[in-house]
Amino acid sequence: MINEFLLDFAHWMEAQQYSQMLVAGYYSYSWLEATHVLTLMVSIGSLFIIDFRMLGLILTDVPASKLADRLHKPMIIGFVIMFITGALLVYAKPVETIQSLWFRMKMILLVLAFINAWVFNARMKAASGSWNTDSVAPKSLRNGAIISLVLWCGVVTLGRYIPYDWVDCGITNNTTILWAAGCVEQLNAL
Amino acid sequence: MSTAINSESNSYTKTITVAVLLALLLIFSFTSLRHETWLRLYEFFLWLETTPFGVIGKTWGAVFAVVEAVHLLAMALLGGAVIVSDARLLGWCFTEVPAGEIQDRAHKVFKIGLAVVLFTGVFMACGVAGKIYWLPVFWYKMLALATGIFFVFFIRRPMLKRDLDELNPRVVKLVAISSLLVWATVAATGRWIGFAGS
Repeated sequence: MINEFLLDFAHWMEAQQYSQMLVAGYYSYSWLEATHVLTLMVSIGSLFIIDFRMLGLILTDVPASKLADRLHKPMIIGFVIMFITGALLVYAKPVETIQSLWFRMKMILLVLAFINAWVFNARMKAASGSWNTDSVAPKSLRNGAIISLVLWCGVVTLGRYIPYDWVDCGITNNTTILWAAGCVEQLNAL
Repeated sequence: MSTAINSESNSYTKTITVAVLLALLLIFSFTSLRHETWLRLYEFFLWLETTPFGVIGKTWGAVFAVVEAVHLLAMALLGGAVIVSDARLLGWCFTEVPAGEIQDRAHKVFKIGLAVVLFTGVFMACGVAGKIYWLPVFWYKMLALATGIFFVFFIRRPMLKRDLDELNPRVVKLVAISSLLVWATVAATGRWIGFAGS
């Protein structure tokens, strides 16, 4: 049901003039992808520094909440650019992307990473106090930092896998993978 | 007095070294030497594909993709370190923490990021050596990377080891902006290899 809806939505997007223009442009898609990937140095780069500080691995002389506070802005700017360019990349190749198993797994990890970030921020605000100048953050924040690192490494890795066609609809016959990737036509043909 | 003279002569030596290196680079770039060197390197690039890295990279696409992901993550780490240290030099943040401390700590992270970027980069290059040899953007990337490494270890670090209050604030800001631009260029040219090669 959900797969059919997503595929219809993808076909509708693919029929849009601007979607076709993004793919047809000689450099437009490459520029979008390059911006999406390069902004990673700002967004995930800042996030790594905050997480490593929470784990007491780097910049232990800088108060943790201050570091998180100052890097928050470049990190958010980076993520906003990544989301805009990411959304445009999906818009440019909607059917191919929505039927990519890697893309779907990436989206799940992305949601989990944001839930973790939200919980992490709430815990950091609640725990602000004496630990701030300690080299290592309290255990709950350290756990949050480890989960964040694992999830974002997963997001980047799965993002990198999207162009690979190992489990694309036309390649695999495994029904579980076909269902998970939303390969409606291939499943109906079986 | 003698320390001041030593320091002055030391800085002159470095300036002369940089000037000589730049002159050599210009001679290399604008003579047939560059083309001859490029032609000679073809055999080396073909050999790279026969190394274990090259064989693994060409045979197992999944391994190549994982290394690509690690390369990207290391670039993110390197980017984070560059942002923290250059933002401090530009006075955008952490102004209450001595700049020297931030530079030292961030440089350690930078070195880890750079080491992983270089290792994974060499691995990936071995897998597609015969292809990237023909791509101008690959050579631009190598030039940008060499410039970045030279800039960090021979200009930026030695300069920042001094007391920052003694340095002209404009020079410090110029170094920070140059650093951001150099590493953004390295990343951008690296990304473009993928487009040019596909």
